[in-house]
Amino acid sequence: MTGQKRPKVQIIPPRTELRQRAVNFTKGFDIDLAPEQLEELEKVVQRSSDSFIRSIGHDLTESRQLILQAIEDADLRRAAVEKCSDLAYATKALGGTFDYPLMTQIAKSLEIFLAKRSTATRRQLMVAQLHIDAIYVILASRVTGFGSSVEQATTIALAKLAERYAEPRE
Amino acid sequence: MSAKIDFSKISFLVVDGDKISAQVVFDTLSYLGAISVKRVGKPEDAFRILRAEQIDIIITEWRLRGMDGLEFLDSLRNSASSPNRFVPVIMLTAHSEQHYVTTARDLGITEFLAKPFNAKALYSRLVSVITRPRHFINTDTYFGPDRRRRQVPFDGPDRRETQNRSRN
Repeated sequence: MTGQKRPKVQIIPPRTELRQRAVNFTKGFDIDLAPEQLEELEKVVQRSSDSFIRSIGHDLTESRQLILQAIEDADLRRAAVEKCSDLAYATKALGGTFDYPLMTQIAKSLEIFLAKRSTATRRQLMVAQLHIDAIYVILASRVTGFGSSVEQATTIALAKLAERYAEPRE
Repeated sequence: MSAKIDFSKISFLVVDGDKISAQVVFDTLSYLGAISVKRVGKPEDAFRILRAEQIDIIITEWRLRGMDGLEFLDSLRNSASSPNRFVPVIMLTAHSEQHYVTTARDLGITEFLAKPFNAKALYSRLVSVITRPRHFINTDTYFGPDRRRRQVPFDGPDRRETQNRSRN
């Protein structure tokens, strides 16, 4: 014995009410879904694809306008950064779900660039604008999947640009 | 004959400020047969619902306005005024980097699903929550589902003391 007091641990048995209530052999969906059932379920997810495109398209337009104004007007920079951060997160979150993983990649680069930033310099706003333009092109051209080598090279270039202009971060 | 899940017997609460994301989860649950699916954008509204009615599973985003998803989880698991400390919580979030996963786990998340997600991944988390409930662990520093998913042989001394074990 070391004399150290052992930490107290209470182990509480699993709560099985949900299993008892919902699992059965007659009604509902198989625990292991068949491939065709999964396909149907995926179609349900894809129903919101058009709404996503409309919403992101609208937000991209607004963000771009705000950035352009903020480049000239320092008072708008805080709002522009906040708006672009929201856009980056939303796009990163759902792009891949709707078969736009490239959009997710670029949005992630933008999100990292804007993280822990409450304002931005003129050049940093331009970097954000380039990300937004790239996402807009993907959306407008309906570039699904990861795109060609050109799109991948663009993504890498944007990430490098973001890294180069990361400082100052305030 | 294979086992099935009747989702109409389970009530859900989706906490997500992103309308499209919440809609996708709502559509998926509805397709599966869920009848009781509530959607809110803020944890404050979630608490109001949790105090008023029975909710079996919560699906929450991390990034929320005001109180974030992690603070929401912390309040659920650790606050004396929590409406249900044991409710299963699925964190569905684009904060998918490893440190986010670890942080959520250490605050008592039941399942973690990274956005972008697909139907298969969401379904597997739902199945896990419903069919494989875990022990809850209560210590001075943690309250939540057992964080160990596998039983791994351990040769070292047992440093824990359960309430059932007689003290030396």
